[in-house]
Amino acid sequence: MKRNTVVLGVTLALLALFAWAGWANWMRRQQQAEQLLANAAKGTLVPNTQGGAPHYSTPLEGKPAPAFALEDLSGHKVRLEDFRGKAVLLNFWATWCGPCKIETPWLVELRNKYAAEGFEVIGISTEGEDLKPGDKAGLERQRDGVKKFVAEMKVPYPMLLGGDALSQPYGGLDAMPTSFYLDRNGVVVAAQMGLSSAAEMEANIHKALGK
Amino acid sequence: MEIMRTRRLLGAALLLCAASVQAQFINERGPMTEPGKTAAVEFLAPDQVTVPAAKPTRVLLHFRVQPGLHVNSHTPHDEFLIPTAFTVPEAKGVRLASVAYPQGKDVTLPADPKTKLNVYTGDFTLDATLVATPGEHVVEGKLRFQACDQRQCMPPKTIPVTMVVTGK
Repeated sequence: MKRNTVVLGVTLALLALFAWAGWANWMRRQQQAEQLLANAAKGTLVPNTQGGAPHYSTPLEGKPAPAFALEDLSGHKVRLEDFRGKAVLLNFWATWCGPCKIETPWLVELRNKYAAEGFEVIGISTEGEDLKPGDKAGLERQRDGVKKFVAEMKVPYPMLLGGDALSQPYGGLDAMPTSFYLDRNGVVVAAQMGLSSAAEMEANIHKALGK
Repeated sequence: MEIMRTRRLLGAALLLCAASVQAQFINERGPMTEPGKTAAVEFLAPDQVTVPAAKPTRVLLHFRVQPGLHVNSHTPHDEFLIPTAFTVPEAKGVRLASVAYPQGKDVTLPADPKTKLNVYTGDFTLDATLVATPGEHVVEGKLRFQACDQRQCMPPKTIPVTMVVTGK
């Protein structure tokens, strides 16, 4: 009887060990799969041998930009597909980002210059706060900060919230500002991470417009 | 004889199971890390201190900002900028009474020479005042900061500041 109890106990312990090992292995594989997915879109900065801003090389170039639906400052849902037919500059930025503040006036000027030709800028606030879904207070705090920034900088283009949710499909968004230039079919034709110059931005806008 | 054989079989089965559980992880390369990514700010020292129990005592905390980067000081000039801040969660044994932050240095970015940023670069030290009860306590402090270089900014980050505080 005593021996049977010991055998039963050992058997149960072994089964529990197997179950734990299987679960731990599964978790590991899930993490690896997520990491692979995240790295699939990761870009790299290539030094500029001519002394200008480094070139951001992204695997998304030549591919359709990943779809999204985010809220604007009025709480309305805005979809990337709503802009099909226009050349678009997706500008990921943050209120705490000094270089983002520097380039905003260039974005405003270029947007106004090329709007009539079917060009639009979409600003996407990416505060890096990892808000949980349904964190209304967090989103409201972000909204207030972005509204203030938009009013100060006199931004005329759509401003969306919750850019952190796009981190994985858009290559990790490891630094701000990060911009993607899309042609009228929504295909990525150029990208830039970090501050470049108004001239470089304009050259990329020309690419997006097909000039 | 029967009992010995059963025990040998059981022992062999145990060894086989242990080996197969271990095999689940043999090809693992350890914790997931991103190659080439180092934190913008590193906590240098101290990893342990002894303080008089129940008496507020100053402890200097040493940090290093990676070359080429800067982090906002505790008092940046712009309300939108994220200040560097040290905290210790409420816990038994050790309380953070106060922190004195160093003065930052005013710098400008080449693309915007008119705007001054108040930042820490290189090594900087926080002057923390801790109160500890008698005994050994593991303090899991946190340093929050937001780092940039001259062209781009990384998202805000929090690093652990772990040290053993012994109240005597």
